[in-house]
Amino acid sequence: MSSSLDKILANPRVWRGRDQAGRRAGLASGYPELDRHLPGGGWPRESLTEVLTEHYGIGELRLLMPALARLSTETSTQDFTEPGWIAWVAPPFQPYPPALQQCGIDLSRMLIVRPRDDSEILWSAEQALSSGTCAAVLLWPSMLDDQASRRLQLAAEKGRSWAIAFRPLAARRQPSAAALRLELHPDGQATRVHILKSRGGRPAVITQLL
Amino acid sequence: MKQRACKPPALARAAAPTPPAVQQDLPFVEQAPAVEAKRPVLHPQVADRLWFCVWLPQLPLEANRSSEAATAIVEEQHGIHRILLADAEASAAGVMPGQAANAALALLPTLQLEERSLLKEQQALEGLASWLERFSSFVSIADHDVLVLEIAGSVRLFGGLQELRQRMSKGLRELGLTAALAIAPTPLAATWMARAGRRACIRDDANLATALRKLPLSCMDWPAGLCEALTGMGVITTGDCLRLPREGFTRRFGAEYLLQLDRALGHLPDPRNSWRAPERFCVDYEMTEEQTDRELLLNICRELLLSHEQFLLARQLGTQRMCFSFFHLKGAATELRLGCARAERSAERWFELLGIRFEQLVLPGPVIAVRLRSGMAQPLQAESGALSFHGKPGVTARRFSITQLAERLIARIGDQSVQAASMVAEHRPDYAWRSQSLLADWSGTTLDTPEQSVQRPLWMLPEPALLPADSGYPVHQGCRLRLIDGPERLETGWWDEDGISRDYYTAAGTDGRRLWVFRNRNRTSSWYLHGYFG
Repeated sequence: MSSSLDKILANPRVWRGRDQAGRRAGLASGYPELDRHLPGGGWPRESLTEVLTEHYGIGELRLLMPALARLSTETSTQDFTEPGWIAWVAPPFQPYPPALQQCGIDLSRMLIVRPRDDSEILWSAEQALSSGTCAAVLLWPSMLDDQASRRLQLAAEKGRSWAIAFRPLAARRQPSAAALRLELHPDGQATRVHILKSRGGRPAVITQLL
Repeated sequence: MKQRACKPPALARAAAPTPPAVQQDLPFVEQAPAVEAKRPVLHPQVADRLWFCVWLPQLPLEANRSSEAATAIVEEQHGIHRILLADAEASAAGVMPGQAANAALALLPTLQLEERSLLKEQQALEGLASWLERFSSFVSIADHDVLVLEIAGSVRLFGGLQELRQRMSKGLRELGLTAALAIAPTPLAATWMARAGRRACIRDDANLATALRKLPLSCMDWPAGLCEALTGMGVITTGDCLRLPREGFTRRFGAEYLLQLDRALGHLPDPRNSWRAPERFCVDYEMTEEQTDRELLLNICRELLLSHEQFLLARQLGTQRMCFSFFHLKGAATELRLGCARAERSAERWFELLGIRFEQLVLPGPVIAVRLRSGMAQPLQAESGALSFHGKPGVTARRFSITQLAERLIARIGDQSVQAASMVAEHRPDYAWRSQSLLADWSGTTLDTPEQSVQRPLWMLPEPALLPADSGYPVHQGCRLRLIDGPERLETGWWDEDGISRDYYTAAGTDGRRLWVFRNRNRTSSWYLHGYFG
């Protein structure tokens, strides 16, 4: 009786409120202050995370680098297969390999995709997410409606991959199926992070993070 | 030959009385005619060869028919169209081979008459030959309706003769061909057995002579006159032929037929030409009328891909490129090229890639024919699977490889849009990395580069952007930048005429962004933006 109940509760689609959702281990972000506010003690794997920023170049990538570095080098503990790939879909500038290597990313497991239009961005991201070969997919869509975010969320669950969408601040008013939505603001020398939405957690503001 | 053979039956009977029973066992070895010199006692290689014969008695009908209705194949003989072969439905109505076409039409007005096309038969035969290559590396076209293949080496692989035979007849049924199969140690014996309709399977030559003796003359496909002459002599089986004195047989009918008998028995070697299909696959699918239905076109492509897979399977090869051409009655053909990261033959994989591209394909008009032309065939690279420790092979099987993902992406958005990046041991920021196509061989290209002590920006601009300056400081989007780190001097590159001399700084803007800027150390000393610390 209790074992079948456990099985149901272990299903990631069953949302039991903030205290129980924490059971599902997150991916340590490398920033203890942030981990404390995230359910599961880290980034939500196998789901969509949205990062909202006004500009690029305020630390939005540095925030993810420790986790991405671990994903690109660590072999999976579940099936002992080789580490997953990291796909960059429509980055606004060229991700600079020397800097990525300094952050500990394995460059030989990186894929940069430059689709021509918005529908191709979403298509490519969905393909990469659901393929099961990418540990993380970073995408910069010019727009992302509720339906598209839901599709990405489902693709991430299907391919057991982590989707990170970068969007402008104006998108905060739009509904989204993302499991986690963050807003980044420059704060003097550092960066302030607002947790707008966190499935199983609660909104929070973390100052002076980076 | 025919004329000569017609005359002498009476003479032959007088000259060659039926040999006594004691002689029956070794009639050919004991007599010594002119051809004797060529014949060794017993060819040793016969025992380890096994020939499979596929005879297609209905090939003219099956290759030429175009509809399901009652059909007969006609051939022009002396100015009159005569029935060559009729299908079951037509035969039931009384249509018989040799009838005039008009007579047949009178019997069955709905009869569909098809002119015999030797070209189509040849194509069907070659198609079958390439299909049969999966069973043996040695397939030979023996006659216009006969294929022989050497199977001694394949028997074990396919789990015995019985299994092999079943597979073959099942495959032939699926191809829609009526075939008679026979197995014997010599190709000619196998052919004769098949023609005689014997489901024979003779494995050693000890039984060969016995089995051959019972075959009727008709199975040897000798000229009608010769058969008539022999029948007139009371010779009605192969065994009867063998009993005739060799010398007399040669004199009356020519050495050729005697040699055939020797080859069938394995007394003489019978070398055959191995059939080789063209190395490149190029097949057309022609339609009777123009089509615009994309679903239908896609199905045709799938069919072509399946035969392409069979073609490659027989050679244990794959291909990396292929091209579909859609022909229109007016205007040039529309081409669709597909590429794969590694040699591939699976029709499923190719069809998946085709599906992605076909969605975007614009066809200027209706299509009348589709051609599939494949690139150079290459050996397949085997993929090594991961060892699963949890007994859950499903987990790894479900993941599809990164090459598959890359192929899909490339198929839709183009080769140049999907790239990998690697490092180059260089101090100049623009040269310190390179991007490469995913279709290239990109394994192990990452170099060990010296650890850099100075932080590099995560975002790089494709080209440095000129910044205006305000009293010696760079200005970005109207705000004067604050230099918070630097300078880091990077210079020279005299070896490729793109030398630099720059002082790099980390700068902070008022909007909170951190920028990577440099000042050229030349006379203009202008400021440039080169990246962002993302």
